[in-house]
Amino acid sequence: MATVTLTKLTKRYGNIGIVHGIDLDIADREFIALVGPSGCGKSTTLRMIAGLEEISAGSIEIGGRIVNDLPPRSRNISMVFQSYALYPHMTVRENLGFSLKIAGAAKEDMVRRVAEASAILGLDMLLDRRPSQLSGGQRQRVAMGRAIVRDPDVFLFDEPLSNLDAKLRTQMRTEIKKLHAKVQSTVIYVTHDQVEAMTLADRIVIMRDGHIEQVGTPDEVFRRPATRFVAGFIGSPPMNLHEATIDDGQMVFASGEKLPLPAQFKANVTTGDKVVFGLRPDDIYPTGHGISSGGAADVHQIELPITVTEPLGNETLVFVEFNGTDWVSRMLNPRPLRPGERVAMSLDMSQAHLFATETGKTLRS
Amino acid sequence: MKGFKPSAPFLLLLPAMIVLAAVVVVPLLLSLYSSFTPFRLTRPETFYVFIGIRNYLSILSNTDFWWAFGRTVLLLTIALNLEMLLGLGLAMLVEKATRGQRILRTLMMFPMMFSPILVGFQFKFMFNDNIGLVNNALQSLGITQDAIPWLIEGHLAFIAISIAEIWSSTAIFAILILAGLLAMPKEPIEAARVDGCTPWQTFRYVTWPFVMPFAYIAMTIRSLDVARAYDIVKIMTDGGPAGRTELLWTLVARTAYSDGRMGMANAMAYFSILLSIAFTVYFFNKLAAARTQIGAEW
Repeated sequence: MATVTLTKLTKRYGNIGIVHGIDLDIADREFIALVGPSGCGKSTTLRMIAGLEEISAGSIEIGGRIVNDLPPRSRNISMVFQSYALYPHMTVRENLGFSLKIAGAAKEDMVRRVAEASAILGLDMLLDRRPSQLSGGQRQRVAMGRAIVRDPDVFLFDEPLSNLDAKLRTQMRTEIKKLHAKVQSTVIYVTHDQVEAMTLADRIVIMRDGHIEQVGTPDEVFRRPATRFVAGFIGSPPMNLHEATIDDGQMVFASGEKLPLPAQFKANVTTGDKVVFGLRPDDIYPTGHGISSGGAADVHQIELPITVTEPLGNETLVFVEFNGTDWVSRMLNPRPLRPGERVAMSLDMSQAHLFATETGKTLRS
Repeated sequence: MKGFKPSAPFLLLLPAMIVLAAVVVVPLLLSLYSSFTPFRLTRPETFYVFIGIRNYLSILSNTDFWWAFGRTVLLLTIALNLEMLLGLGLAMLVEKATRGQRILRTLMMFPMMFSPILVGFQFKFMFNDNIGLVNNALQSLGITQDAIPWLIEGHLAFIAISIAEIWSSTAIFAILILAGLLAMPKEPIEAARVDGCTPWQTFRYVTWPFVMPFAYIAMTIRSLDVARAYDIVKIMTDGGPAGRTELLWTLVARTAYSDGRMGMANAMAYFSILLSIAFTVYFFNKLAAARTQIGAEW
């Protein structure tokens, strides 16, 4: 159990910067997810914490101890890899016990801890098999077992679920969450899947191009995205984002269409400002068929033509044309709609987001 | 021949069978038969005298043969082990090279591109006690003042031959082990580092088990190679001095062509092949075990 502190952590390959001096404080027993598109530096950051990648500048502290120059084996961490990285020539039992054997643990101790881990992860029936005889999900469980056997200060997960099929991924996600509840230790979890990050983490770190865009609880990053990038990255289907110019309390879009400026931003913008207006699919809905969130105090009514509908059973994604592109809206209690039909849409402006076009930063005060 | 109608598959295979019979089966049977005769090249009529297993019995009590046999096994053991160690070292160094790896791999193969006869001549020159490079270097470096009789003293000659053999064939191990290292997934190594392994433990418990099958393939190839070693020895010492570097096949060749005792030589040859078969079976078993162990899919 330990805190992890990254200070000005930097990674460069020659002249190419991968991670540009990030700062992050991770509390003891916290579940942190590093999320971002490929190439954003999240895996490199994790590998630097593990000690598999040298750091170019800055420092890493684990449990108050600077570990910059320590080899991975001296950091008391364990890591679960995307490709499981099991030892192919060892049985499941040997895989689980390997780190203990290397550490020179007593035989009884080893047997007991392997048995504990195997019980937690339901591996009892598989202990004498080799990795090649296991399915993907079983291999993943062995990889996690190998990590928990050591009772490390910090668990590092590097996209552990991305090699599994969708159904198994959902199932393993739940198992990881249960596992964290049981073993109660600090977890740093890298994923490119925002759903995984949202469902698992206490706090999410959204990275992009080697910088941290925002750190926050799932609720914070969803409800109050700090940047346009975070707004577009978190949430599925993604937030609708449109560039506009402020003109006397109104937002004027490229197509000439206008919407009133959301009340909460009025103080922060003036005429002539270039902004990006964002609204989640949940906050645009055919009138009478949505979640009337935020007391629905600031609802703007507008009539828009439908382009496509995607029925999902309990809800339907409705694509309406606005500003020359498709806007996604989520219709609850669906009713039949035909493409081309113009319907009355409710825009919950109290839930709207506004970002400065130039900096991408939120205009929320 | 009335009523004899050979089937189509038989007819189609017939040409192949005739060729095989002419170039493989008949010579093989003839040589096997001659090992049961006192056949001498100088007395052709002896080919028709059948003496049963007398040649084989006399081999069993022939000390020269057993010395040659033992020496071949010794050379095999020394050469294979050293080649594997050196090849492993080379492969691991080349694998670490981030640039120029292709050139290094090609360079590494150079010794294999030379004819063993030429390798023999080259090393014969290098180990020459008067004008050889080795003595010259040792003397210039002040390590010794004597002219070391590399190819004249029995043990030294054996060492010189081993060195030539190892020089010419370490590349086989290096290339095959390198192939293993390059095919190896990197994550288990990283997992081992995180799991607390020192670099040596990582090698011992993760890398080595993975490249072992590749080493066994090289072992199988090379054990056949060394068990039939002939050319390098023939050139460097011709089995001398006084038979101290005589190997199985130099002895077989001497018996057959210098002494003209073809029947006896064939008996020796058949006996020697048993050695090769034994090594092949041994290494193939090892290979199969190692493959199962790493769950190889090839």
